[in-house]
Amino acid sequence: MALLEVNNLKTHFFTREGVVRAVDGISFEVESGKTLGIVGESGCGKSVTALSIMGLIPKPPAKIVDGSVLFDGRDLTKLPEKQLEDVRGREIAMIFQDPMTSLNPTLTIGTQITETIRRHYDVPKRQARKKAVELLEEVQIPRAADRLDDYPHRFSGGMRQRVMIAIALSCDPKLLIADEPTTALDVTVQAAVLDLLDDLRQAHEMAMILITHDMGVVAESADDIAVMYGGQIVEQASVNDLFDRPEHPYTEALLGALPQIEGEGIRAGRLTAIPGRPPDLKNPPPACRFAPRCKYANANDTCTTVMPELREIHKDHWVRTAHPACERAGAQVPVQA
Amino acid sequence: MSTPVTTNPAKPPLLQVTNLRKHFPVRSGMLIERTVDHVKAVDDVSFEITEGETLGLVGESGSGKSTTGYCVLQLLKPTDGSIRFEGQELTTLGREQMRRMRREMQIVFQDPYASLDPRMTVGDIVAEPLLVHSIGTKKDRRSRVRELLDVVGFDPGFTNRYPHEFSGGQRQRIGIARALALSPKLIVCDEPVSALDVSIQAQILNLLKDLQQDFGLTYLFIAHDLAVVRSMSDRIAVMNKGKLVEIGPAEELYASPREDYTKALLSAVPIPDPRAMKERKAARRKLRHALAEG
Amino acid sequence: MVVNPREAPTPTIAGDVAPLAQGTAGAPLRQSNLWRDAWGRYVRNRAAVAAGAAFVLLLLFCVIWPFVSPYDGNKLDFSLKNEGPSLSHPFGTDNFGRDMMTRTAEGGRVSIGIGFAATIAILLAGVAYGAISGFVGGRLDNAMMRVLDTLYGLPYLPFAIIILAIFGDANFWTMVVALSVVSWFTTARIVRGQIITLKENDYVRAARAVGARWYRILGRHLLPNTLGVLIIAIFLELPGVILGEAFLSFIGLGIGAPDASWGQMANDGRTAYRTSPHIIAVPSIAIATLILSANFIADGLRDALDPRTRET
Repeated sequence: MALLEVNNLKTHFFTREGVVRAVDGISFEVESGKTLGIVGESGCGKSVTALSIMGLIPKPPAKIVDGSVLFDGRDLTKLPEKQLEDVRGREIAMIFQDPMTSLNPTLTIGTQITETIRRHYDVPKRQARKKAVELLEEVQIPRAADRLDDYPHRFSGGMRQRVMIAIALSCDPKLLIADEPTTALDVTVQAAVLDLLDDLRQAHEMAMILITHDMGVVAESADDIAVMYGGQIVEQASVNDLFDRPEHPYTEALLGALPQIEGEGIRAGRLTAIPGRPPDLKNPPPACRFAPRCKYANANDTCTTVMPELREIHKDHWVRTAHPACERAGAQVPVQA
Repeated sequence: MSTPVTTNPAKPPLLQVTNLRKHFPVRSGMLIERTVDHVKAVDDVSFEITEGETLGLVGESGSGKSTTGYCVLQLLKPTDGSIRFEGQELTTLGREQMRRMRREMQIVFQDPYASLDPRMTVGDIVAEPLLVHSIGTKKDRRSRVRELLDVVGFDPGFTNRYPHEFSGGQRQRIGIARALALSPKLIVCDEPVSALDVSIQAQILNLLKDLQQDFGLTYLFIAHDLAVVRSMSDRIAVMNKGKLVEIGPAEELYASPREDYTKALLSAVPIPDPRAMKERKAARRKLRHALAEG
Repeated sequence: MVVNPREAPTPTIAGDVAPLAQGTAGAPLRQSNLWRDAWGRYVRNRAAVAAGAAFVLLLLFCVIWPFVSPYDGNKLDFSLKNEGPSLSHPFGTDNFGRDMMTRTAEGGRVSIGIGFAATIAILLAGVAYGAISGFVGGRLDNAMMRVLDTLYGLPYLPFAIIILAIFGDANFWTMVVALSVVSWFTTARIVRGQIITLKENDYVRAARAVGARWYRILGRHLLPNTLGVLIIAIFLELPGVILGEAFLSFIGLGIGAPDASWGQMANDGRTAYRTSPHIIAVPSIAIATLILSANFIADGLRDALDPRTRET
């Protein structure tokens, strides 16, 4: 059984201006020890997905209106807040994007790490501090013992992210959710942090959900990838499969829009731009959310009236579109609704 | 298809930066602040840009690339060094002369949200350069604004709206229109697409390339994303901690970097090729273990 | 990942979109106005709305009632003296038989008038000082702020009293000067802080890059964006000034009789508070209402105009 099973999760935001369907029916699984990469651009719902799993969505405007999140057999969406708090940090940990604001500037990092440990384990302070030093060493902070009583502002962005990782690992969680963990970091630091996450993951046998907009990052770190668009998963496959044969027009377009480092004619050529803008989630398109920008969709296609279902187009390769690449390349297969 | 303008050896390069230095004083002290140290944001940087060319300036945060861009435009006063535009030395120009010079060189900023005055309409924002230099009548300016917005792919019907009503990509277009208003020769692009999504990024990069061809622009393209810089530049300069590490034609630099820093930078860039990335990761892991044992 | 050669001339955003577009992609995301957004946020704050209503009603009362009232606020009529509130005199009469309601309105004109005038003076001084200090920066800013720091030490009311003494006569304008001369420091600080923050914005750099001169940057880019802060400052300074005037009048240093101001009226009622409490109560309640409502309005405005809650 998978460690985490998300089924038809729907998280909507009830605002004055309408209902924002931020996450509108997504399902995926994460196996123990594996990394799932969730890719998409801003507004696609990937962060809201992560927060929904943790139960950290702001409850007044937002609400999980449907679906379930099964972690180790338990449905997290049905748990009362107190029990959720026990799960958070202890079994599922999360690290965020901006290392500058994710640490409390008025507490030493030692306090922030030990606070987490002592929330979940009844250990004396000394022991917690010892563990904190071990963790800092594990995330490769030099002179860890000395730096335990330093405040966050004495650390660089990359170091702060490592501290965040240390906090996340402090209770040996089974699942780590990393929301854009390296976006705010320089590229050399990014590589180091991703390597660190990978080593730690293997050492602790942790599963990971890596959320990012960067296709290069998921290519490096993920085993499986889910591509999100407009609050839905539009394509899901193993990492090699997704890059070898992307099926969804959006995935293809996204890959085509990436500037290349190697190749011919880069300077002179143009990037494949996707016209238009991401959909307004208060008023999404009636059926396929990508249709208005899709170059394969016509006004008469079924995908404009009926939402395409997520179907298994190759083994373990799912796609939600009426125009998958393999059916486009000259095939005569009629478009399925 | 764009080809870089072949340089006329007799003509001076459009921009010549020589031994540029910009130091920021570090002040300390309670009652009377004393300068105790200097941050050398830009430390002896020299390069040239020929007309019609794009020079990419790439580096990580703190490398001094944006500071270099600001110094070129004299938005920051260089501590030392020379900046020549079409042979004219900028650092010694009087205020009025520099003001006139500004018509030749403009800038596109990174943050589409902070680079447009929230209290001005789109039309006013794009017209401001014309107004400041007293170009044309109100009517002339209005029609020029419409022209500029059209050229950057922004619907000219929305000149009476405010910036906050538009998306990041649209705002960047407004910023580009403003930069074009005075028909400059040189445009410094300071991380113009870093704040945008990939799909919008591609739109703006294509736009910048088209504009360069249509208007014969020269770009100093500053960015931290190596792939973006590669796709836009003829030549590339790599900066690290204020110093210029390496400079050369784009293809050469990326294919066979000479300096270690450049090599490290290039090897750290994630590319959307899983197998290649996994190999790289394995290589890095081996290196780490070797270092740990050695 | 094929890089496509250029196919067609750059289309406009509207033209970029495939035929299935929902509305023009070039259209604004939301049609709205910064002020309208703020107004919307303000009206959702019930305390702020109530305070705003109270403030406006009080103002209208003071402006309109003296024209409409059947009584003359200065007319003495000892036969009616010290009457409590009644139908013919809703606020009662004072120890000289004068109708309190009319006097409250007339007194309000004076008190509020002085209040607004002094507030405007404070704003002008504060903006001028703060804007120059913040805009120029560097050593001038340092020097100006150190001067301000020393001036902060001046005690507000004693100084106002001294200034009134120097003038010799306490009338509308001398009161305005006395109350504003040592009250503008906080506003200067606030404005300076705003200007310094705003200066760092890219749009200011853009204006410089385009060749705008300093007065344009200050007048067109910096000060208009300080508007929000200034409006809030008005409603924060107003109570202080009004209270200051009330206090000075209460201790007898304010505007002379027979002209009313609320502080003066309270002074009149001081001795008779046990037998006719309404004489001191009415002006006190008026002052309190004005001050409280101004404070709530300031709070409401601050929340409404807070850039963090502003939708982007």
